[in-house]
Amino acid sequence: MEEFIQLILEPMKEVFVKFKEFAPNLLAMMTIILVGILFARIMKAVLLRFMKAIKLDTWSDRMGLTAVMRKGDLWAKPSEAVGSLVFWTLIIVSLMFGLSSLKIHAIDSLVAQFILYLPRAFSAVLILVFGYIIAGFIGRAVLIAAVNSGYHYAKLLAEAIRLLLTVLILAMALEQLQVAPGIVVAAFSIIFGGIVLALAISFGVGGIDAARRMIEKEEERKQEKKDIEHM
Amino acid sequence: MDSIISRKDVHAQLEKIGSADILVGIPSYNNARTIGHVVRAVQAGLAKYFPDRKAVLVNSDGGSTDGTIDVVNQAGIEDFQSILLYHRVEPFFKIVTPYIGLPGKGSAFRSIFEIAVALNVKACAVVDSDLRSIAPEWIELLIKPVLDGGFDYVAPLYHRHKYDGTITNSIVYPLTRALYGKRVRQPIGGDFGFSGRLAAFYLSKDVWQTDIARYGIDIWMTTEAIANDFKVAQSFLGAKIHDPKDPGADLSAMLAQVTGSAFGLMETYKDVWKGVHGSESVPTFGFRYTVGLEQVNANVERMLAIFHAGLKDLRQIWLEVLGAGDLGEVESLKTRSDRDFRFPIRLWTRIVYDYALAYHKRKLPHGHLLKSLTPLYLGKTASFVMEAADMGQDEAEGEIEKLCLEFESSKEHLYNNWK
Repeated sequence: MEEFIQLILEPMKEVFVKFKEFAPNLLAMMTIILVGILFARIMKAVLLRFMKAIKLDTWSDRMGLTAVMRKGDLWAKPSEAVGSLVFWTLIIVSLMFGLSSLKIHAIDSLVAQFILYLPRAFSAVLILVFGYIIAGFIGRAVLIAAVNSGYHYAKLLAEAIRLLLTVLILAMALEQLQVAPGIVVAAFSIIFGGIVLALAISFGVGGIDAARRMIEKEEERKQEKKDIEHM
Repeated sequence: MDSIISRKDVHAQLEKIGSADILVGIPSYNNARTIGHVVRAVQAGLAKYFPDRKAVLVNSDGGSTDGTIDVVNQAGIEDFQSILLYHRVEPFFKIVTPYIGLPGKGSAFRSIFEIAVALNVKACAVVDSDLRSIAPEWIELLIKPVLDGGFDYVAPLYHRHKYDGTITNSIVYPLTRALYGKRVRQPIGGDFGFSGRLAAFYLSKDVWQTDIARYGIDIWMTTEAIANDFKVAQSFLGAKIHDPKDPGADLSAMLAQVTGSAFGLMETYKDVWKGVHGSESVPTFGFRYTVGLEQVNANVERMLAIFHAGLKDLRQIWLEVLGAGDLGEVESLKTRSDRDFRFPIRLWTRIVYDYALAYHKRKLPHGHLLKSLTPLYLGKTASFVMEAADMGQDEAEGEIEKLCLEFESSKEHLYNNWK
């Protein structure tokens, strides 16, 4: 009977010993996660105040970023969206640190991979954000210039350029994230090259008459009387 | 930044001349066809009206490739008796030099100011190098009010075709007059007289890396003179006829540089213009006479096409700048046929003020904002061309006067929204 009880207690003892060894790690993980949550909340509050002070929402409205968020069914204010993004990033990071304190080999390697991937993810986000702003800026400049020079398809031209830039930016971001880089580069080359070729052909074929008209108009203008002087 | 007087050749010439009473500057870029006439007119003007004054002509060139500099060096009056001059004439010096800095008229002027200050001149004038109608009297009319009348700045007053100078007539003149209260009719005329003191003042400003170094120089000179209480006058010069401008010159860029400079100056001198109500005339010199003017072609159809394209494609930008109310009024114009198209002056005034406010509040990048004004400006210009088609010169001038009064009475809109 005694042997039988011993047989039952032995594994329990082992579990208890292992739990005793494991408990501090668990406590450390919970502490790290709790501190992480607290830190993330504080950071979010500080960031929200800062973004309010620099009027990020107004700037985002002006740059058209808010409109893009709305198109993507994101209805939060841009400042709140950035605050939430930072909050959840910090939560994930603290979760990863917490898990690594458990000192389990499989989790350790997962955390290491995650941490190594962070700079790439961060670069990709930066490429997307700045790329979007630059594409919008160039698209608008092209639109205004095309309208001012009396080009009929101003909006189409501006949208085409914006699209080309967006494709370029997406390819750069995906390449940065190393999501099937070979396929991304090949797909990008095919799409970008295809668009450029299509534009070249359509301009070349469709633009013959337009070019002729422009040259004729220029000739007419040279022969006309003195033109209006704006200055 | 480099100074023109640090160049060896210029420095040597300045040392040789020492000091001078009068300086006449001619900025140029590929004006070989016309600059010879301008140089001769300047020389004749100096000889005829200022025979006992030491005078210098400065040609500040932007790297011409058509032999402009050679023409300037060779041009001159050989026989003074042919222009009925028999008296002794003081020596006439010429400095011909490429300017330093951003390519543009403003940089050319900067070199002229530097030489004027180095020579300690009493009075200066600048005249365009493409003028066909310049006469020796222009030099007297631009210089004498400074030398003998104690004025610091003399703006030109011309007879121009009613369709010409539309940026001046529909934006710059009404805006400058409403803001600073002085009726300087040609604030961006291009030919000015000014004192050595004012040249030194201009030179003390650090603006040579901005649009002021380009087309913005004229409005900048006029505004600085008025806003800083220099004594301002204007002189009637007759007709302004010059070589046709390069048809490839970008209207949009010119408009952006001029309006950008005017709006930028509004920031600098907000305390000045906020205290100004109404306007007053400035002393005007010269004998006014009527002149025949060249016929001017105005392509209304093209202007309206660009205006309508703007309505279709720039709506989002205009909404941001003008707000729903004013944009609604602009959009209501598209229902009219081209022949009945009229741009109400009240609406145009608010548009200009809205753009000034948007520039101040940085609602859009400045380049985009200012260039998006072009289709609206062309709509306004087309409207004016049609309105003034059957008008005489005086009647057309009356329309501009109405616009100026509208700018003055609507100034409150600008004042109240400037935060």
